[in-house]
Amino acid sequence: MARYSPKRLFRNRMNLVPFLLLLPAFMVLALVVVFPLGFSLYTSFTPYRLIRPNTLHVWIGLRNYTDLMGNGDFWAAFGRTVLFLTIALNVEFLAGLGIALLISRITWGQRTLRTIMMFPMMFSPILVGYQFKFVFNDNIGILNNALQALHLSDGAIAWLVDRNLAMFSIIFAEVWMSTSVFAILLLAGLLSMPRDPVEAARVDGCNPWQVFRHITLPYIMPFAYIAMTIRSLDVARAYDIVHVMTGGGPAGRTELLWTLIARTGYNNAKMGMANAMAYISILLSIAFTYFFFRKLIAARKFMRGAD
Amino acid sequence: MAEIVLNKLVKNYGRTRAVHGIDLSIAHQEFVVLVGPSGCGKSTTLRMIAGLEEISDGTVSIGGAVVNELPPRKRNISMVFQNYALYPHMNVRENLGFGLKIAGQPAADIAQRVDEAAEILGLTELLERTPAELSGGQRQRVAMGRAIVRKPAAFLFDEPLSNLDAKLRGQMRAEIKKLHQSVRTTVVYVTHDQIEAMTLADRIVVMRAGRIEQVGTPMEVYNHPTSAFVATFIGSPPMNMLPGTISGGAVRLADGSALPVPERAADNAREGQEVLLGIRPDDISPVGHGLSQDGPGAELTLTVAIAEPLGMESLIFTRIAGQEVQAKLYGPRMVLPGEELVFRLALDRAHLFDAASGASLEAR
Amino acid sequence: MDPKLRRQLGRIVSWVLTFLLMMIICVPGLWVVLTAFRPNAEVLAKPAVWVPQVLSLNNFAKIFGFAQEVAIPVPAYFANSMIIALTSTAIALLIGMSGGYAFARYRFRFKDGLFLGLMLSRTVPGIALSLPLFMIWSRLGLIDTKPGLIIVYVAMNVPFTIWLIDGFFRQIPIELSEAAMVDGCTRWQAFWRIEFPLARSGIASAGIFAFLTSWNEYALASQLTRSTYSKTLPVGLMDFTSQFTIDWAGMSAMAVIIIIPALALTFIVQKHLIAGLTFGGVKG
Repeated sequence: MARYSPKRLFRNRMNLVPFLLLLPAFMVLALVVVFPLGFSLYTSFTPYRLIRPNTLHVWIGLRNYTDLMGNGDFWAAFGRTVLFLTIALNVEFLAGLGIALLISRITWGQRTLRTIMMFPMMFSPILVGYQFKFVFNDNIGILNNALQALHLSDGAIAWLVDRNLAMFSIIFAEVWMSTSVFAILLLAGLLSMPRDPVEAARVDGCNPWQVFRHITLPYIMPFAYIAMTIRSLDVARAYDIVHVMTGGGPAGRTELLWTLIARTGYNNAKMGMANAMAYISILLSIAFTYFFFRKLIAARKFMRGAD
Repeated sequence: MAEIVLNKLVKNYGRTRAVHGIDLSIAHQEFVVLVGPSGCGKSTTLRMIAGLEEISDGTVSIGGAVVNELPPRKRNISMVFQNYALYPHMNVRENLGFGLKIAGQPAADIAQRVDEAAEILGLTELLERTPAELSGGQRQRVAMGRAIVRKPAAFLFDEPLSNLDAKLRGQMRAEIKKLHQSVRTTVVYVTHDQIEAMTLADRIVVMRAGRIEQVGTPMEVYNHPTSAFVATFIGSPPMNMLPGTISGGAVRLADGSALPVPERAADNAREGQEVLLGIRPDDISPVGHGLSQDGPGAELTLTVAIAEPLGMESLIFTRIAGQEVQAKLYGPRMVLPGEELVFRLALDRAHLFDAASGASLEAR
Repeated sequence: MDPKLRRQLGRIVSWVLTFLLMMIICVPGLWVVLTAFRPNAEVLAKPAVWVPQVLSLNNFAKIFGFAQEVAIPVPAYFANSMIIALTSTAIALLIGMSGGYAFARYRFRFKDGLFLGLMLSRTVPGIALSLPLFMIWSRLGLIDTKPGLIIVYVAMNVPFTIWLIDGFFRQIPIELSEAAMVDGCTRWQAFWRIEFPLARSGIASAGIFAFLTSWNEYALASQLTRSTYSKTLPVGLMDFTSQFTIDWAGMSAMAVIIIIPALALTFIVQKHLIAGLTFGGVKG
């Protein structure tokens, strides 16, 4: 038999296939995400204003960033955003867990309940914002109307005007929209959980709380991390809600990073400064996502160990 | 003609080598079984023959032509997978006819050949069912039907029976044997179960750690294992191995007692060599309850540790020179732990292996 | 306490909680839907009118231009939304299938890194991305065009689509496509005849999810669109608010129009979506 020599080209082509398959995805992302972000990184080092195009070529180094360091409004918005995310995500997790536990106990109509639970997830954030602007409206809102009809309150409560109440209203809308992500995934986790470990723990003398704490909760945590990861991908959707409900006002009392970016960039036309803020908000988002993604990977490994 | 020739076949996964240059010729219409413990490279070898795994070096030829660069569909083979790989969205008829349909055969031909195959395998009643509606044995049969319907040059089986329960496995083993006798095609069959290998194969290929350990007919492999590994892998319960040293023409065991060197290894045993004396449980039996009563042998008095009655025979666990060994007692006799019995070792059927390399010292 | 009584009580408590929960989820939406059928006068009445006196389709007729006031071109917005969401979903699905298949079926260098990069690209807040996109798109002449928004939505949907589809392909045993290749298929044929039909429902739900993301998006659309040529429904919804007044009834009617496709699709997709999210995430 003739000595056979393998064709190197063929092998190399085999290894290229996955990259070719991924090429369209990365091309689109390069055009829409990577390249624009590169551009905005550049503009964040210029005093670029939309109305004065020449300013795009003026290099001012880190001045936008150093200006931001001393900008009280920016830091207020930054702190408010972190607070908003922390409260919203924690409430969503706890409420989602509660709802999942509640529904996992109900045998009749469980599927219908689950479907209804998914509806808020599918609402446009702009609609959620509108809906709650309507609900919390001081004059004609259903909430004030109901409170007055039940004589729980005499005058109109200024839900969207008072500093704390406005923040509460926005967080409520956000939680309303996003809790179902947690509830549904945690419910899926609860329903897929094997019975044996729970029964083993009971035989070993655990009380219901200990069973929950040491068996159920660790089992469903990976599901919580998936939910957290999914949520951290789109936390900035809260911009839409705030934009509709209060527009960051009144007088900046509900200003979040994202509404501040929009105001600085579009209303005040200070694109360079807005891009500098945007970069900080991007880093914040990436930090959130990366954190949960690592947890998810770790939890996944843990799960695989049990298979 | 569809002989399959593997020439210095190598598979690397990154830096680790899974298959170390295998040479093997499989004759036309031969039933060859690749057997070995998991991770020995037998499935990888089969998948390289099928074209599902890239060949790192060496060649595979089918019917005289090198097929290294040919995709699976051009190799004229069919394969039965461990989990059957039935297409869940097609019924049995569509599953059987899929390969012919892809090949562009006319519908009437497909229908006829599917019916034929269904007839052979007793699937006629099940043709309209989907895989989900079938039992394990029925799925197994459909997978085989899908293989024979295309009349390929060779069948490849990748552990096809490992998902069945013991009883069904025995039944399907017989069916595969019958099938091979009726369709007469080259078969390469991979399994980790030495019983399947013994019962099905024309020739057995015992593999270990990516290398071929021994090739031979089932009886050759059973009676003349070329290494201690093959000796312990083929046959159940496994062959007992007693470590010892050659001293004065005898095998001296750990406790100082000596057994004569088996005759077939007498020429090759060197004085002072570290060896393993291999003897199957069937060849250690209480006097009067064994298979062979004459020929050279040794008699030892041993204490029974555990006895497992199996009906017409019992498996006895005991110790020779501190080494745990298994022995067989033929006949319906109850043995109790602690009982002392005189055992006869049929040394004409014993083997001797070099302790370091594991190679058999049998003269050839 | 008697265990039987306690169990009974527990059941009642859980039913009450469930009822409250469903109220919180449903009432705001239902109130908006109800408002869509009521005249503005009744919505604004003080004290509040709880039981509607008049229910009519007037608000819908008005926003669809059947009445005398044709202030807001809702049919155009609706058409824009449909075209943009459907096109971007179709493209995102093709790209997502190709990418998801690569992640599910191949081993290659930098695989984990690429996957993470993909996910991180999705985390960039829409409003932060809109600034440079606005500048670049205006130079490319893509502002206020449908293709301009379609490209953006494709990019927004690709990462999540790949994640979901990767999960669905992984559930299909690799032996099936191997068997098909031994049976005479090319890899391409094996994909379309075996793997695609088996993943079809999962891919469909990924598509529905992508559609909803595009359908619902506001932050980018509000900056990248200007006129009836490309404005989408969520952007159009803000047409109803002027500095000091809000047409609550008209806005509610439009909200209903935006909600209906979302609700219908949610209902269809729910089962697969949950499966996709959990498989993709946990089993990955």
